[in-house]
Amino acid sequence: MISPAARDRRRFVLLMLAPATVLLIGLTLVPFIVSVLFSLSNFSLITPDDFAFSWFENYGKMFDSPEFWNALRITVIFTIAAVAVELVLGVGIAALLHFETRAVPFLRLVYLLPLAITPVAAVFTFRIMLNPSLGIFNYMLKQVGLPPQDWLGTPGMALATLVVVDAWQWTPFIMLIAAGGLAAMDEEPLEAAQMDGAGPITSFFHHSLPMLFPYLAVAVVFRSIDAFKTFDIIFVLTGGGPGIATRTLNLLAYKQGIEFLSMGYAAALAIVMLIITIIASQAFLRRINLFRPKAAL
Amino acid sequence: MKADRRQPLQPLSTRVRAGRALMPWIRRAVLWIFALWCLFPIYWLVTMSLKRQVDAISRKPKFIFEPIWDNYLSVLANGEVWQYFQNSAIVALGATALSLILGIPTAYVLARYRFTGNADFGFWILSTRMTPPVAMLIPFFVVYVQTGLFDTYIGLILAHVAIIISIVVWLMKGFFEDLPSEMEEAAFMDGATHFQAFFHICLPVTLPGIAAVAILAFLFSWNEFLFSLVLADRIQTVPVGLYSFVGYQQIAWGELSASAVIMLAPVLAFVFVFQRQLVRGLTLGAIK
Repeated sequence: MISPAARDRRRFVLLMLAPATVLLIGLTLVPFIVSVLFSLSNFSLITPDDFAFSWFENYGKMFDSPEFWNALRITVIFTIAAVAVELVLGVGIAALLHFETRAVPFLRLVYLLPLAITPVAAVFTFRIMLNPSLGIFNYMLKQVGLPPQDWLGTPGMALATLVVVDAWQWTPFIMLIAAGGLAAMDEEPLEAAQMDGAGPITSFFHHSLPMLFPYLAVAVVFRSIDAFKTFDIIFVLTGGGPGIATRTLNLLAYKQGIEFLSMGYAAALAIVMLIITIIASQAFLRRINLFRPKAAL
Repeated sequence: MKADRRQPLQPLSTRVRAGRALMPWIRRAVLWIFALWCLFPIYWLVTMSLKRQVDAISRKPKFIFEPIWDNYLSVLANGEVWQYFQNSAIVALGATALSLILGIPTAYVLARYRFTGNADFGFWILSTRMTPPVAMLIPFFVVYVQTGLFDTYIGLILAHVAIIISIVVWLMKGFFEDLPSEMEEAAFMDGATHFQAFFHICLPVTLPGIAAVAILAFLFSWNEFLFSLVLADRIQTVPVGLYSFVGYQQIAWGELSASAVIMLAPVLAFVFVFQRQLVRGLTLGAIK
């Protein structure tokens, strides 16, 4: 028999969980299942009445098409390049800021801006600054005697520019997490090492960096997941161009689904993206054990 | 033997000392260059909005110019910006309120009560944030078109709740975990029910946390682009409006920048006023 107290407790837990659970089932689980079903069908909003299940036809078509492999390659390059740049810069700036004494609150405030600002507005500003003939970037290049660049017009350069803009927006994310990790760190081993004559740079790499790893792991996982599904920056800055040089999986799925209205194929793309994300994130997040309640009632 | 190899302390050589004296200045220079890099696009946007057309598109970018307010006046007279503002405000406030009401109780239970599947439930909620947006967008689009939710405030609010509720739950869970569990234990001793412990003991203490999460939820909804773009047509939110501006008037940079600045105003205000609270939210609770 369940005691009245245990029954009360269980009723409370269920009641508290119910509203969000119902909503999340309706808004995320059901759409997900619908997406899976779409991906197994020929569903297109242009000819909705011809709906039929075509099973794995979409997936077969996708794995046979060069545009999918191209998009996957670009997505992976973009994600790795962006996260790598952000990680190195973010940790570096956090380390420098840790020892800085002047104007730290102001610097922190400024570093926060790229994260909070409406991405579309920031990206739009970058578009103006990157304009080949009138933009400030090419003007600066000319001042130092370098040839002007077609930042968004040539394939390799366009992808590199996207990485830079992404790094502008997201380096502060890694920097803030790394700075928080440094602030929470026990300084004693570091001081001991410096007493033994280790320079600040050596002691940072040997002592602080290893202790930062748990923080950086979280930062890199979150950032990679987000970079993998970047939309705003690419959509507004290049729209996937020139040609298909910056068309990531996300943009390809958007194009297929929302522009060409072939929902089945777009859903298949989205499902493949989801599977990649789940495999990558499960592997990391389960390991770092974020999901145990700390106090229990 | 080992102790012998350890070098006795010696005065540092001049080179090393010069290097150490220079370090703070190199460090400072790097930090300020990075600050400049973070700030520059925003600075450039603001100056563009204050420039005449000839100054804005002059081949030699002008750092010194006579500021004018004409761009702002013509944008504000146009009225479209107000409409975007109103749409975004309705959607963001609605989505924030709904996601708090639904998310806070869940977060509390996840933080405080051990039950079968607690960790899985937490992971499921966080995983909704990892889902590529297109995977949700396509069913949303189809269902919205067929049920009439397309291009309605309710439709946009629900879509935004789906996006931000995971962050609300995740962050609020962190705030509840910070509270000592003795608080509720004492309340239970006094005969309080679980509901009373939650409503009267824990909720009031976490109000600052709730405020921080509310600001962040509002910000995420205000900045959201993809769902607002696809799931509505006449109801354009701020980012969508800005994007459509870019499409229509490629070269009217002055007016475009002025509208962008106006649309950024609430975001900037939030950053300046709630800097500390935002850090925790924007790092997804990794930094307390």
